[in-house]
Amino acid sequence: MPARSKVKFLFVLPGILWVLAFTIYPLIRSLTLSFTNARMGRTGQFVGLQNYIRAVGDYRFQNSVAVTVFFVICSVVLTVGIGLGLALLFNRPMRGQRVFRSLFTMPMFTAPIALGYLGLTIFHEDVGAVNTILRALGVADLPRWGSEIWTARAAIVLVDVWQWTPFCFLVLLAGLSALPEEVYEAAVLDTSSGWDIFRFVTLPLLTPVLFTVIMLRLVEAFKMLDIPFSLTNGGPGAATQTMSFYIYLTGLRNFNQGYASAMAYFLLIAMMIIAMIFFRRMRQNFD
Amino acid sequence: MTHRHQPLAARIVFWGVITIATLWCIFPFYWAIVTSFKERGDILTKPTLIPWLQYTPTLFNWQNEFGQRWPEISKALGNSLIIAIGASAIAIGLGTLAGYGLARFRFYGWKNRDMTMWFLSQRFLPPMVTAIPFFMVIKSLGLIDKQLALILANATFTMPFAVLILRDVFKDIPVEMEESAWVDGASHLQSFWHIALPLAAPAIAAALVICFAFSWNEFLFGLILSYDRAIPVTVIIAGVSHTQGIQFHQVATRLLLAILPPALLALTAQRYIVRGLTFGAVKG
Repeated sequence: MPARSKVKFLFVLPGILWVLAFTIYPLIRSLTLSFTNARMGRTGQFVGLQNYIRAVGDYRFQNSVAVTVFFVICSVVLTVGIGLGLALLFNRPMRGQRVFRSLFTMPMFTAPIALGYLGLTIFHEDVGAVNTILRALGVADLPRWGSEIWTARAAIVLVDVWQWTPFCFLVLLAGLSALPEEVYEAAVLDTSSGWDIFRFVTLPLLTPVLFTVIMLRLVEAFKMLDIPFSLTNGGPGAATQTMSFYIYLTGLRNFNQGYASAMAYFLLIAMMIIAMIFFRRMRQNFD
Repeated sequence: MTHRHQPLAARIVFWGVITIATLWCIFPFYWAIVTSFKERGDILTKPTLIPWLQYTPTLFNWQNEFGQRWPEISKALGNSLIIAIGASAIAIGLGTLAGYGLARFRFYGWKNRDMTMWFLSQRFLPPMVTAIPFFMVIKSLGLIDKQLALILANATFTMPFAVLILRDVFKDIPVEMEESAWVDGASHLQSFWHIALPLAAPAIAAALVICFAFSWNEFLFGLILSYDRAIPVTVIIAGVSHTQGIQFHQVATRLLLAILPPALLALTAQRYIVRGLTFGAVKG
């Protein structure tokens, strides 16, 4: 195809301009806001790095960072770990695989906000499903899910794991079933240990897929807002208040927009680091 | 790998894990459904899991939802439908064009991969970062509490899926099919429209479903950009639980109405989900 053909720009330009208008422009506005003391109805004056300095010393912001990092680690480790385990188990010809795949598709398309409210009824202390089952199993000391710090956090992790493990499972299963059969046939001749085959054959071959899954999970987990919003409302206290949640409260409930924008930029920087790692590895894929 | 001659113990473990995974996966849906058929009294007095055995199912909540409470919820469902259709239509329109452009042409200076990352970067952006300026822009445009505001927001969020899925699919369509049309004097636009687009139709439909589902499920921008007329279903369920405490039986019907459309619709896009959600990095 001739390189001078101008028609090619017709295809990509509308999308590029859209991103410019609705992603890049708000980002720039956000950056300029972060250097002001803008509040509701007040344009705000330039205050330099004051908001950023304030954020570093704000114990509520520090708390939200710690909470977010905790959720990110739990979520990524558990969803990818369990997903990988299930994918290894399911990676074989079996009847009804389509049914299972359909079933496992549903959680990731469930509105997280609705899931959180549903979780509220599932984790209810007296008549919730979880405690009903625990009671039937004879557990005397029933967890008070919503009102204690670690049980509230555990509930959020459980809901997130429910929603995203199927995604990891399906992607890793797709990755596994794309691995060449011959490699295994050769490996079986060398060793009979399933662990060795996994460790020295499957895992290295699966690394690119595993990398993709971990990166995508990291990104989504860092954004976490809907589930704490609905399931625990950030509580008890601020025990489940993620960064997005605290920024939301600061900027859109208390309308302290300048300060919120500065904190948002801390979150953005974390995401940009992840994105850079991802893009560096995936560069050839995007050509 | 052949697993035909497995010991009994391994098979028991295998089916045991499948059973647990399946139950785990179904349970929240099951719980929502059984709760929606419970009476208020049944919910509060005795914890129950099994209909008929432990309590008598009643249609009361559903009658209430489709009767007295219908105006409110139907408006929200309608808003969500309009927003999700509008947003996914824009995302697919722009995404199909960009996907085709990236798959078929080589760009210099600003290379193909740079453009692909440009589109994909939106997905790496936490919505909270753009929420405040987005709110201010929408406000200055006078679009607060208008469906259009949420259509614009969701089109922005879901476009990366559309671009990456379609780029991948157009790459898989042999360029020779279009080349023969060019020899016959067709323009790029004609070959795109008459040859590539029909071949990509199933993928376009799947991408549409994925964009629709994510737009329907979006909450934060719905919350900040609407307060009355344009409220989507994700925001209406949040409102109910906060103002009246947790009314299990009422919440359950609403949650099901909010959850089921995208979850069921997504089943039709099965073939493209892995590819779509990993932005073409993994073929499903």
